[in-house]
Amino acid sequence: MIVEIGHYALALAFGVSVIQALVPLWGLSRQDRALAAVGASAALVSFGLVALSFATLVASYVRSDFSVANVFENSHSAQPLIYKLTSVWGNHEGSLLLWVLILTLFGALVAVSHRSLPPRLRAGALAAQGLVAAAFLAFMLFTSNPFRRLVPAPAEGQDLNPILQDLGLAIHPPLLYVGYVGFSMTYAFAVAALIDGRIDAMWARAVRPWTLLAWVFLTLGIAMGSYWAYYELGWGGWWFWDPVENASFMPWLAGTALIHSTVVMEKRDALKVWTILLAILTFSLSLLGTFIVRSGVLTSVHSFATDPARGLFILLILVFFVGGSLALFAWRAPLLRQGGLFAPVSRESALVVNNIFLATACATVFVGTLYPLALEMATGDKISVGAPFFNATFVPVMVPLLLLLPIGQSLAWKRGDLLGAAQRNAVACGLAVVAALSLIAFTRGGPVLAPLGVGLGVFLVLGAGFDLGERIVARASGWPAMLSRAKGLPRSAWGTALAHAGVGLSIIGIAAAAWSSEAIAVLKPGERLTAGRYTVMLESVVPRTGPNFRAEVARFQLFSGDRELAPLEASKRVYTARAMPTTEAGIRTDWLSQAYVSLGDAQDDGLAVRLYDKPLILLIWIGAIVMALGGGLSLTDRRFRLAAPRRAAPVAAAQPAE
Amino acid sequence: MMIWAVFAVMTGAAIFALLWPLSRGQVPGFADTADARSLYRSQLGEIDRDMARGLIAAGEAEAARAEAARRLLRVAGDEVAPAGETEPSLRRRRASSALMLSVVPLLALLIYGIYGSPDNPDQPLAARLEQAGPQQDFAVVFARMEAHLAANPTDTKGWSLIAPIYLRQGRYDDAANAFAAAMRNGKPDPDLFSGLGEARTLAAEGVVTASAREAFSEAVKRDPKNVRALYYLALAKEQDGDAPGAIASLNELLAGAPPDANWTAPVRDRLARLEAQAKGDAIAALPDAERAQAIKGMVDGLAQRLSAGGGTLADWSRLIRARAALGEKAEASQAARTARERLGQDAAALAALDALADELDLKEVKP
Amino acid sequence: MTAAQTTSLRPAKRRMTRKQRRLTIIAAAGAVLALAAGLVLFAMRDAIVFFYGPTEIAEKGVMPGTRMRLGGLVENGSVQRGPGQRVAFAVTDGKSTVKVSYDGLLPDLFREGQGVVTEGVFEGAGRFKADSVLAKHDETYMPREVADTLKKQGHWQGEAGATAPVKP
Repeated sequence: MIVEIGHYALALAFGVSVIQALVPLWGLSRQDRALAAVGASAALVSFGLVALSFATLVASYVRSDFSVANVFENSHSAQPLIYKLTSVWGNHEGSLLLWVLILTLFGALVAVSHRSLPPRLRAGALAAQGLVAAAFLAFMLFTSNPFRRLVPAPAEGQDLNPILQDLGLAIHPPLLYVGYVGFSMTYAFAVAALIDGRIDAMWARAVRPWTLLAWVFLTLGIAMGSYWAYYELGWGGWWFWDPVENASFMPWLAGTALIHSTVVMEKRDALKVWTILLAILTFSLSLLGTFIVRSGVLTSVHSFATDPARGLFILLILVFFVGGSLALFAWRAPLLRQGGLFAPVSRESALVVNNIFLATACATVFVGTLYPLALEMATGDKISVGAPFFNATFVPVMVPLLLLLPIGQSLAWKRGDLLGAAQRNAVACGLAVVAALSLIAFTRGGPVLAPLGVGLGVFLVLGAGFDLGERIVARASGWPAMLSRAKGLPRSAWGTALAHAGVGLSIIGIAAAAWSSEAIAVLKPGERLTAGRYTVMLESVVPRTGPNFRAEVARFQLFSGDRELAPLEASKRVYTARAMPTTEAGIRTDWLSQAYVSLGDAQDDGLAVRLYDKPLILLIWIGAIVMALGGGLSLTDRRFRLAAPRRAAPVAAAQPAE
Repeated sequence: MMIWAVFAVMTGAAIFALLWPLSRGQVPGFADTADARSLYRSQLGEIDRDMARGLIAAGEAEAARAEAARRLLRVAGDEVAPAGETEPSLRRRRASSALMLSVVPLLALLIYGIYGSPDNPDQPLAARLEQAGPQQDFAVVFARMEAHLAANPTDTKGWSLIAPIYLRQGRYDDAANAFAAAMRNGKPDPDLFSGLGEARTLAAEGVVTASAREAFSEAVKRDPKNVRALYYLALAKEQDGDAPGAIASLNELLAGAPPDANWTAPVRDRLARLEAQAKGDAIAALPDAERAQAIKGMVDGLAQRLSAGGGTLADWSRLIRARAALGEKAEASQAARTARERLGQDAAALAALDALADELDLKEVKP
Repeated sequence: MTAAQTTSLRPAKRRMTRKQRRLTIIAAAGAVLALAAGLVLFAMRDAIVFFYGPTEIAEKGVMPGTRMRLGGLVENGSVQRGPGQRVAFAVTDGKSTVKVSYDGLLPDLFREGQGVVTEGVFEGAGRFKADSVLAKHDETYMPREVADTLKKQGHWQGEAGATAPVKP
């Protein structure tokens, strides 16, 4: 019975979402607050219903109720409990339910946060959010129903796709979804502002936590997905410029721009129209990502079996929300009040430059991702756009942005001093150049771009650190004063510095990838293989049985030079239910570097083994985590509830007046 | 019935919660300065706190206070007279209540009505496995057996039980694995060997592969009278193109059969087909009249054998086709009808027969 | 209404009108976009690869030395391993066949009779040297280009395909 209760709850939630979309809008147009208040209670009710529905699906998975088609197709009774749980969202239908669950949870949070939001904005945002929820509930109920039943019930499930049976992937989709859905909240607020025809710093303050939250989770989600691809797929690569990856990367780029433009809006009441547009575009890109992943219109190595009917439905949703909101934008944006002025050299301008570059970078990814589709429709030719394209377009756009970042970061609001900012960064820049030059000298004959990339990363990290240090040291003398100054610095300042340093760390990791080396050989027990600094010796190959798989495990001993480091295991698994093989790479972390072993097929004369030396590779993901930490820290900053104007003090022109 | 009561309660609760905000009496309009005022107060408090902590200077705090006050004024300036409880507002409330009372249950019931299965109970696996007795479905016993073997891969008895089931289910690779597992730690048994050979053969779509032949040879080595192994070894000869050898082997097999053996029929079939083939080569060399006679004789022989009982879809199809090819429409239809009766349990076979009847234009076969 | 209007920007000559400011921003954005567009156009010429099926290679007269992606089915019985990691197999669409040689580890789901996409250089005379063989995540998934190629050659057997497990 509980399965059917979950199903009914979902249908009921659809009805409630329709009410949530309609009644508050009516209330807004009639200035009737009682009607608008329905939005809040509807948001709470629909969250409750979707949560109930999700709980019943989870229960069905835990109890291995194979009379539910979704459970049968994606679960197996022999799975460990943790994977039974993660199977819930390891498939299309279940992941959509999770999506809607997070969406309605956020709606409920907006509904209860009535103290901090202007009532009209809240009512409008809840209506827009209700519409999004209704669309996705309809999509789920009509094309991807997780509660479809099977009669008679099969005795055993088909198991989850083995490469998804992994903790990394278990938490990857929820992280991404919190990101996507968080952007749907910014979208809802943007639509509400357009409906209301009014936008001010209050709006920016209401939106900023959602944007930051979404960005933090999207950052973590993308990093997690990338690390998963790195260790699970056994190719040793961590980013493939694949359409599905790009689908999550585009909202991230747009969202990063949005975070920066809301800062300008919050502090200086400028860039309003652009910020609204950016909020709409960011969510549109999230929807586009969903469309790409679910419809299979673009070939991706990450694609799972897809369904054209679903693709069409998502396309309709996409057209409705993107087209509708852009039309609303064209109609209402001219009514928005213009914001404050700023000088060409100022923090505001720096952030505008940031937005221009990020939007352009996002556009190049967009073109590279969708061009094959357009070309195929136009001429029938099929092409693939891969890393070479993005290296030639995306990277040159990002490099100037990153070079300017530390300088922009130390410019003052309203009117900055370019020379002063450059001087403040001279030390960091000098150290970075020294680092790059010494690397070039040290790795003579190696790749040239890599030391430059490392130099750029060092510049970013040092720039962020110096900027923060200067604020602490400049106005204070003596340790106690500095300490109190450090404590007094707003958390958002710490967050900004941390996030920018994180970008630097990731850049260093990415640049260092150029020094990685790999080797392949067919090994018999006792034979060795060397790549870069590491050597492995194959010791033995033994069979092993897991809960729902059989494995051939190859045991290695890892050496660095002649020094014995550690034993290492890599394996080939065959998941019995689907008779599907997977490769489990053996990875040994050696400070920030990794030795990575993956297996090929067993051959007559031994076992094919691939060994990589991946120097500093962990920095890529550590950088992402640091970025997310910075975002999280900013999220906790409550100081800037009021965009207090600062009278520019005579000396403060040379100081970033936070 | 119970489930509909639960649905009714859920619907009622949801609508009640939706109607709640409308039930409250005096609700102020949007342009409510109370919100702005409380925000203003909290902002002033924050500015004071910041100043106390020394984060902003007195001058800055003054400017901030002025800005906050300006914002408050702006909100107040936008103010429209509070709506209050007017006749239109009451009408709107009634209208929206009616909307909720109708739309929510209607949409929910409509969608659930289309996609839901209210009569389908939950079937958690644990409960199904516990259910004992004859009503327990085979699939569940089977699943339990598989689970047991996954946990105890050394249970050779279990493997030897499950292997033939796999074979019957057409899961030939699993069957081959199971036969091999059954022999891994136990003593090699001729039946297991011949089973392994059969699984390998069927997995290779009926071709007796080298590895299958090896298994059959092992079986015969241990039990020279192992019927299955001998049969497949004969088949192997046939596939190698050694028809006389195959015929000799099959004849030998039949000769050694006990009179009540139930496996002789398919062997005889095979033998008949082989001999027919051998004869077919000879028939092709005969003059026309004699050839027709010979073919007719063969077809009649087949019909006789099939009318005695048994016969697979392939046998029946062959007969029907042959009759139709000889121009004996009536006999063909008759054969098709008999085949329908015999193979009535097998939906796929029925469909195949119907398709065949359509193809050969046989009327009145379908009931 | 905000700070900008209340606090004057002191050096008056630096003050820009709203229109000028907007123009500056638009000009900057235009410059960056133009740069990006240039890069995109440049990369379009050099950094993309075309996808062909075995029959298309023959029909379109692909020049030897062309870098491309080749997709189709791995022909049954065509996979030959060794020496070392060298693998040779044939990719077919039922009508034409291209012989592929590849040095390296094959993805987990590489099987005879299954769809495959490889990237590398066409060497002419029906030979192809692959430097990557793309993996996929799901055994029922058929690369869309491969599916299209097969459909074109009339070898497509519905969504699941003959080799995929049939879901009830």
